[in-house]
Amino acid sequence: MKRLVTLDVAEAGWLSTYQDLGRTNAEAMGVPSGGAADQHSAAVGNILVGNPRTGACIEIMGGRFSFTPSNDILIAVTGTPAELTIGGCTAPLWTPTRVPAGAKVTIARATEGVRSYLCIAGAIHTAHFMGSCAPDARMGFAQKLSAGDQISVLTANSGYSHPYFDNMLFRLPVPIPTYGGGIWTVDVVDGPEMNATPGIRELMTSSLYTVGGRSDHVGLRLDGPVLHPEGLGEITSHGVPVGAIEIPHSDELIILGRYRTLTAGYPIVAFATTAAQSMLGQAGPGRRITFNWVAAADAVRHLRYREHELNVLEDAVHSAFTAAGLPLSESASPL
Amino acid sequence: MAAFENLADKIAMHEFGDSALMLSVRDDDPAVRRGVIADVRSILLPRLPYGARDAVAGLESLLVEFDPLVVAPRQLAQVLELIINVHQHDAGGGGTAPQQFLIPVDFRREFAPDLDDVASELGLTPAQVIEAFTGSSLRINLLAAAMAPMMDGVQFPAPVSRCAIPRTDVAAGSIMVAGLNAIIQPFPGPTGWKVIGRTPLRICDIAEQPATSYTAGDNVRFMALEDGQWPDLEGQFLRSTKVETP
Repeated sequence: MKRLVTLDVAEAGWLSTYQDLGRTNAEAMGVPSGGAADQHSAAVGNILVGNPRTGACIEIMGGRFSFTPSNDILIAVTGTPAELTIGGCTAPLWTPTRVPAGAKVTIARATEGVRSYLCIAGAIHTAHFMGSCAPDARMGFAQKLSAGDQISVLTANSGYSHPYFDNMLFRLPVPIPTYGGGIWTVDVVDGPEMNATPGIRELMTSSLYTVGGRSDHVGLRLDGPVLHPEGLGEITSHGVPVGAIEIPHSDELIILGRYRTLTAGYPIVAFATTAAQSMLGQAGPGRRITFNWVAAADAVRHLRYREHELNVLEDAVHSAFTAAGLPLSESASPL
Repeated sequence: MAAFENLADKIAMHEFGDSALMLSVRDDDPAVRRGVIADVRSILLPRLPYGARDAVAGLESLLVEFDPLVVAPRQLAQVLELIINVHQHDAGGGGTAPQQFLIPVDFRREFAPDLDDVASELGLTPAQVIEAFTGSSLRINLLAAAMAPMMDGVQFPAPVSRCAIPRTDVAAGSIMVAGLNAIIQPFPGPTGWKVIGRTPLRICDIAEQPATSYTAGDNVRFMALEDGQWPDLEGQFLRSTKVETP
């Protein structure tokens, strides 16, 4: 039986929004797909609580986020390394975790990355636009959470406890990315204007770039050495995919994010691979980045391996939850 | 028998990253490129095949995004070619008759900061610019950023240049021109286009279902707003005037 649980938000961090994996069939009408900047973490978090990957979650960027649930709930917090406490006790990230009714949950002190994902077993009740709850601030669909807001969740999770252990212990094959505090290497494939920019590939693979303070969900702006293409003339504005690495007129690189403007006319020297984009969603100002060229086939192979990891986790969660008598969302398998 | 030409033969398809194909037209004339890609767009957008996730329309190109775990780029390119060739005679027609929109515009100076500039560039008076603009029959080519209707068919004697320095915050409803194209700003934001007026109507509203009543292929005319009409129309959602019977 399902019931409605409310989460009272006491602190909302710097920017916290309802979020999911984004829209399909919206870009043809001028609306960017949008969705979680770190798609991997959002998908894993929802899988860990028995939800479909595409379910709604909360994306938390910076600061301190805290809430208190009205009833027992099951949560998973993924994304950047951060401090998670439940009722004052430290709790692990990347694992299904029970929160008793009335216990305060705090997510704070993000290190290395910039975004946390809070996933809750059940369906988060929130507005949708073109089939997704992902915000589109430009179109007035802010989806922002503020202190004092209530998050409503319709859940079949009715609370449980273990006679000896307060928390259930799961051993799940969770694909946790290694962020690390050092230099992040971004896999890229050739872009259309690479050949018109002699030496750019050698320069980008041998240089360090620093994520600048003007970076956001539209794009990461990287400070570092660049070369400008020669003899191109004006490029007619055309569609640009997420991950396109542009060289604007100024001396910087821009890696387009999920909320990019859909068309642009800057030279594109490379594309971040789809598999590399989740990591880019965790890169904040000051992060140092370098590039690694891969073949298109390797880019897809890497993505296929990621998908395999998610499938293995889905199977394991399904088995563990079934054995423990925990509810799984009906549409937990894709399509 | 007349020579049979496949439309897809005019289209080049290139991988654009690991999950997109860029479709462009093999022709030296921009007018031809725009015409052919408009046909391809009207064929493909209602018929994106399995594995394709979305598409982004450009004036001379079409970016088709796909899931590389579901379909390989060469396989998708073959399917797109087939769709283009099989449906080449349906181009432009679509399935539904185009709608007709009549959009009131206030050309007051405070809403039209670039009107004088456009007039002097064209060698016309501002009144003649307004006359040419409201006398034009425009067609929505595609929906640009934030569902902005991108139109062609402005009857100016020559194309209009863009602003040397883009404006950072242009109000919603602003009517803008560049080249022989026009566009309406659906939400406040930056633009490099020249602002020549403003409509009191709300052209895009995410509370409406769908958020715009227009779509690519629809026809648009503009009319000058008469004094005092603004308050009655302000914030009203734009709807079509009539469905054209072909």
